[in-house]
Amino acid sequence: MVTAEELAYGMERESVAKGPLEIFEGGGQVVTDRDDRQTVGEPFVDNPRVSARNVNVYYDEKHAIHDVSLDLGENEVLAMIGPSGCGKSTFLRCLNRMNDTVASCRVTGKINFDGEDINSPKIDVVPLRAQVGMVFQKPNPFPKSIYENIAFGARIHGLARHRYELDEIVEGSLQRAGLWDEVKDRLEQPGTGLSGGQQQRLCIARTIAVSPEVILMDEPCSALDPIATAKIEELIDELRKQFTIAIVTHSMQQAARVSQRTAYFHLGDLIEAGDTKTVFTTPRHRLTEDYITGRFG
Amino acid sequence: MWCVNIVSSMSDLEHTGQRAINTVYAGLGRRYAAERRFRLYGMLAVLSGLAFLVVMFTSIISNGYSAFRQHYVQLTVEYDESRVDRNEPAASDFEGIVKSSMREMFPWMSGRSDKRKLYGLVSGDAAYAIRDRVGDNPSLIGSREALWVLLDDDADMFFKGYVTPVRRQLMSSGITLALEGEKAVLTGDEAAFEVIVTAVRDHLQAQLAVARKEFEDMGRLLEETEAGGDRDEVVRFKAKLESLRMQISGLQARISSTSLNEELGSGMPSFLINLDGVYIRINAITATGVSGVVFAEDVTGLPTIFDQWQLVTLEMPPADRRLSDKEIVVLLALQDRGQVESRFNSVFFTAGDSREPEQSGILGALKGSMYMLIVTLLLSFPIGVAAAVYLEEFAPQNQWTDFIEVNINNLAAVPSIVFGLLGLAVFINFFGLPRSAPLVGGLALTLMTLPTIIISGRAALKSIPPSIREAALGIGASRVQTVFYHVLPLALPGMLTGTIIGMAQALGESAPLLMIGMVAFVVDVPQGFTDPATVLPVQIYLWADSPERAFVERTSAAIMVLLGFLITMNALAVVLRKRFERRW
Amino acid sequence: MQSTTLIVVLLALSAAGFYMGRRKAFQVSGNDIRTLNSLPSYYGYYTAMWCGIPALIVFSLWSMLDGRAIMAMATSSIADSGVSAQEMSLVYSEVLRFVSGSTIGEPQPHIVEAVARYRELQDTSNAALIVIVLSIAIAGTAFALGKIRRDQRVRNSVEAGVMVFLIACSTIAIFTTIGIVLSVLFESIRFFQKVSFTDFIFGLEWSPQTAIRSDQVGSTGAFGAIPLFAGTLLISFIAMVVAAPIGLMSAIYLAEYASARLRSYAKPLLEILAGIPTVVYGFFAALVVAPFFRNTGGLIGLDVSSESALAAGLVMGIMVIPFISSLSDDVITAVPQALRDGALGLGATQSETIRRVVIPAALPGIVGGMLLAVSRAIGETMIVVMAAGLSANLTANPLEAVTTVTVQIVTLLVGDQEFDSAKTLAAFALGLMLFLSTLVLNVIALHVVRKYREQYE
Repeated sequence: MVTAEELAYGMERESVAKGPLEIFEGGGQVVTDRDDRQTVGEPFVDNPRVSARNVNVYYDEKHAIHDVSLDLGENEVLAMIGPSGCGKSTFLRCLNRMNDTVASCRVTGKINFDGEDINSPKIDVVPLRAQVGMVFQKPNPFPKSIYENIAFGARIHGLARHRYELDEIVEGSLQRAGLWDEVKDRLEQPGTGLSGGQQQRLCIARTIAVSPEVILMDEPCSALDPIATAKIEELIDELRKQFTIAIVTHSMQQAARVSQRTAYFHLGDLIEAGDTKTVFTTPRHRLTEDYITGRFG
Repeated sequence: MWCVNIVSSMSDLEHTGQRAINTVYAGLGRRYAAERRFRLYGMLAVLSGLAFLVVMFTSIISNGYSAFRQHYVQLTVEYDESRVDRNEPAASDFEGIVKSSMREMFPWMSGRSDKRKLYGLVSGDAAYAIRDRVGDNPSLIGSREALWVLLDDDADMFFKGYVTPVRRQLMSSGITLALEGEKAVLTGDEAAFEVIVTAVRDHLQAQLAVARKEFEDMGRLLEETEAGGDRDEVVRFKAKLESLRMQISGLQARISSTSLNEELGSGMPSFLINLDGVYIRINAITATGVSGVVFAEDVTGLPTIFDQWQLVTLEMPPADRRLSDKEIVVLLALQDRGQVESRFNSVFFTAGDSREPEQSGILGALKGSMYMLIVTLLLSFPIGVAAAVYLEEFAPQNQWTDFIEVNINNLAAVPSIVFGLLGLAVFINFFGLPRSAPLVGGLALTLMTLPTIIISGRAALKSIPPSIREAALGIGASRVQTVFYHVLPLALPGMLTGTIIGMAQALGESAPLLMIGMVAFVVDVPQGFTDPATVLPVQIYLWADSPERAFVERTSAAIMVLLGFLITMNALAVVLRKRFERRW
Repeated sequence: MQSTTLIVVLLALSAAGFYMGRRKAFQVSGNDIRTLNSLPSYYGYYTAMWCGIPALIVFSLWSMLDGRAIMAMATSSIADSGVSAQEMSLVYSEVLRFVSGSTIGEPQPHIVEAVARYRELQDTSNAALIVIVLSIAIAGTAFALGKIRRDQRVRNSVEAGVMVFLIACSTIAIFTTIGIVLSVLFESIRFFQKVSFTDFIFGLEWSPQTAIRSDQVGSTGAFGAIPLFAGTLLISFIAMVVAAPIGLMSAIYLAEYASARLRSYAKPLLEILAGIPTVVYGFFAALVVAPFFRNTGGLIGLDVSSESALAAGLVMGIMVIPFISSLSDDVITAVPQALRDGALGLGATQSETIRRVVIPAALPGIVGGMLLAVSRAIGETMIVVMAAGLSANLTANPLEAVTTVTVQIVTLLVGDQEFDSAKTLAAFALGLMLFLSTLVLNVIALHVVRKYREQYE
């Protein structure tokens, strides 16, 4: 027997396959049953470092994220999972205003950080991004030396007054990223000459060199092999002691390994959020369950 | 170590994070100032680029728009049988007809040089116009008629306002005319000649300023020389200084004197007084009035008291302009009588080059450009397309094709004058083709534009998806058939776009054509590919070298025509690209 | 005009050959074209090719070479009378002048005789050409028609012919390069036989006016090219000082800051500058910019030449701006967005991102573009011919008049030339220098840009 829910779900998938615009064209038959997509679980925590409320994102006419409310707790790793195109990366990029670089993108809602609304036009993105760093999907070291890659942030922000301070920042960041021993003898060589995993750790080191408080990671391991991935995951676990981390990942295993809390996104909706263990063992929402049991994704 | 501290202690870390963000905030002002500066530089760069464009276009248009009109003069032409030979009209004295017509109108221009000046105001083309007129209508012989003919370029420039600014003032304070032979004396109250008086005083003031400057310089020189001790020099400078002092005091006296008594020199603006069509050029000014020369034959019928009269000021002093006062009076008189007319300058579009600006046109250059472009197009399009097709569709990827590619890319950046050297050495000196011919120009420019066409042709072929080729090959077409029946028609619009841009490049090119002799002075409009010819850009270069003001105007106008063609061609290329643009 | 007619006749014959070939194909197939090896039109093309191409080849070779042959024959009696090669070239140009209908001057009797003989030979040659070309065309057609059989694989023959044509066209670029090298090299070698290479390369004085007759008093000319190289470099340097910052900054502004709307207007407008013929820039320099500098200089008490290097350089800079800006624009937009994101994500401002990440990443491409721009400035002719000076001053003062390599090439070669004089040959030696220096710049620049493109593709 097919339940009404399943039927609705199936129709929705079909309409998505046709493309976002067609969803709205079918008149009465369109599946827009928002009740079905209410966030379940515990999206909020007691001591939030960042708290997003009713965040909507539009690309031109396309409504990419619907009304997402979610907290990032202090010194926790929050994993965001979901099928591709579900808006998890878009949401992540809202948290340090990286969506500003996309001309057609418009964000509404409130994102509170340190008592201020990040999303307010009055907010200065430069210090914000110094506090909320970002690591990207594909390692993107600058075409400069390893040293200069790390020193870049400190230099632009004027964090080091003397050369020895800069040296300290570079060494400290590389050590914390677990890269120091591998590169200490070739700091003057170009960062692009490192292996993929090393490049990504270089990017993480580059991010922590400016002493941020929150680090956003957008599928940091998707371009890496398993061994490099394991190293990054170890690193994330280590960094949790000092930073609040939000990580977008494709891999449910990775989310289960590194995160304390997990948020499941589906087609621009936050479906379920909560303790990682709970989400993976006893999902409350049918879509979450379908996703983690591998029915789709 | 600093970093170890961070790792070891939580509070330290927070402290450092706090310190870091404070540092960030502290530097923000400076950084945003740098950001604004950088942005400003960018904006200034774009603006200055656009400003250059605007300055260039305005200067060319403001210099050139007047060339599209030309002034004509109406002559009363007498087809006198003594001058026009019925049996052999070509041998007639048409120039004499023009001259006698002018003489009849201005008998007071009677001296030898005056007559030459008078005849010079009409273009040499007038005689040809009369010849053509008689040739077409032999029945005119023996009669007379009014005929409009071209004015000389200097006269045309005068009416276009390039010779001197002309100020006309209607004066209504009465004056009295007294004639003393050639000389006319005009008396009136102070207001009547105030303009002239002021101009004379200004002129004296300017002279005074120059003298004072010289005096100061001389004084300084004297001091230095005295220190040096060359006695002869000192004596000489002292004498000079004394004469300057005299000059200054004299000038001061003349300026402050209440009753001026001055001659008007050729370094001053000219003042003409127009009394009912009779012009008097002012030579001197006195306390009671002015005196001057009458430019008219018969003034006996003229009244002696005028309530209204016209003061014409020619602001440019006679010494600094190409037309004398007499010539200008002739022109003004012609204008007063309605015998001067500004018309559309058809000569400019129907004549070849000429030493006389008013008889020169761009038709010869346009035709030369046309013949040359035909040669270039006929050669470069098929060759360019064929080369692009071979390199993109058939050529194996090896060192040989790499070498061809390097060659093509390099040729695209070789200075155009080098292609001229090639044309001179190969086509003219080796193959003995005629110099100055559009054929040779076209050959040289073919080699120059080929790289452009090949590169754009290859880009057009590259944009055709492989599926088209696979589809055709799949139904058993040969590779040649696939390319010629399926790929090429789809790529053709893109190739045409590249070709038009290459042709525009060729149309604007001049340096290589100088090398192969297309700079010759060619009066005749070329009739074929091997006739001596010049092209539009080279015509511009030739005219730009000519000193006459009228050629500046024509150069700018020719540039406007050239730019018109280029803009049209480029617009055509854009339209073509838009119309056939296809997304795969 | 006669050759045009002949070409038209040849084309008409080829068209006729096409129809004849096709009809023959129908005939041999017994009106069942399925029995043919190829489509009937291929038989038509085959015949047309045989009709037109050999005849055309003979025609072009003939018309390229007949002038020299006729001249040699017409003047053979003069040549036999023991005239030097130098005087012989004067005789050639005299004869040519009178053959082409000049009436200026009274020709000497031996010239008159040669002119008459030339005309006579020319008529014979033209008649022979028509007969030979037409008979080749007809013979070719007959040959092709005779070969048409049902099973003949004409498509392959036609396609092979097409391929030969395509390959020939694509090698023209190589022949052009060879032609350039040979044409400047031969004359340069002859020049260096008269003037030593070191005097040319290192000489400090340039005054190419040589005595026209050997018995004339006067200088023998000095061919030290250093002042020309210095003048060229000075003007190119001024041009780059103007164009490099403006071109680069406007590319940056349009690529990184400007709204799509502004970009869509400003970019094509700037590109108009690239489409303006250089003769227009030259006119602008001579008419507006040079007098402006001279007058402004006069106002502030500076003595500015009316052909100052500054005016020519500035206008050349304006010409080069769009070139630099469009090359830089290509290069800057090729820098991956990920690098910009990386810098922005660390809290860099936009200008910090551009200056510290985008520009360093794009540097090889930008440098390549600049080198191409320098090469263009060095080879630019019309602007300097119209706005720079003629006398070779060795100076670094931009307010003085200097001359350039291209100006000298033009002045030496425009107007009446004497064959074989050092003055004429010097132009080719300068051309060789110009070609070599731009070649080196272009090859380096194209290589750098290509490597850069590969890096981000």
